[in-house]
Amino acid sequence: MKLNAVQEDALIELLNIGFGRAAASLSQLTGHRVLLEVPHVTIHAIDEVTESLERVIDSDVASVHQIFAGPVAGDALLILDQNGASILKELLTNEPALPLSIDASAREVITEVGNILLNACLGTFGNLLNVQVSFSVPQLSLESLGGILESLRVNRVGVQYALVVHAGFKLRDAEIRGYLVIVLSVASLDRLIRAVEDWEHNNR
Amino acid sequence: MKRKLLLVDDSGLARRSMRAMLESDGYEVVEAEDGIGALERYFLEKPDVVLLDLVMKGMYGLDVLTKLRELDSSACVIVVSADVQSSSQQMVEAAGASGFLNKPVNRQELLKLLNTALEGRA
Repeated sequence: MKLNAVQEDALIELLNIGFGRAAASLSQLTGHRVLLEVPHVTIHAIDEVTESLERVIDSDVASVHQIFAGPVAGDALLILDQNGASILKELLTNEPALPLSIDASAREVITEVGNILLNACLGTFGNLLNVQVSFSVPQLSLESLGGILESLRVNRVGVQYALVVHAGFKLRDAEIRGYLVIVLSVASLDRLIRAVEDWEHNNR
Repeated sequence: MKRKLLLVDDSGLARRSMRAMLESDGYEVVEAEDGIGALERYFLEKPDVVLLDLVMKGMYGLDVLTKLRELDSSACVIVVSADVQSSSQQMVEAAGASGFLNKPVNRQELLKLLNTALEGRA
């Protein structure tokens, strides 16, 4: 599935607004200015996502997963490389980070950061598109990228698409790369695209 | 006399950061990490205000709010959530919340909302 130029443009603008809100939240949490790169969005069949992301993430990852429900429903994941996750923990707690597998405090911090960022982004979508979405409790996972995406694939029936948002940001001179992956059914993706088109039309 | 607040959030980070803000402003803070715990502590501690997260394991914040207001119609609840949707704010206000604050919490906004809520109870 491919977006046409108008749809892609509107979706990127929407993501920019959502990410702006997420960056403001992150800046408020850490007390540091957050520099955002322009998000780059691609759509893949879910089977192709692992391969696409493994091209850009070559280290262990920490991911925060939330299921969202409503007229547009699916799974949202914030994926950070574990080094970036450790930097975030240090910035938020002023304590040195240990490996995430043994650092309960870091896992708690990353889960809450993921919760705030995913809500900031998807909630902004909800506001702009006039759709109400509700969220599940965030779950942190330290599995491999392939394992995380495979668990999403096997738990859902029907064809699934993934909207992958490549979003780089810089925080206190440290480059933290984060990826937002939104997995949607065909019906939800269709509803999202229609809502984005309506929003674009109403904002002309 | 110190005003007592019940802080309900399943995130330890959120509880610690809000506790630090509130205690430095002279409030007494008690905590619960889930909805059932919140209902128990509410009736044990009789706090002046409840600060309540929305998305938690077990009972959702909206259900906790509804139950609290059903059991005590004077319960004063401020919802503190990462959910930025205006429809969510309208929903909790319709359920009887006295205020709505987005995470990450801004100290000044939190204290202002608390003052307003406590003045309303005076």
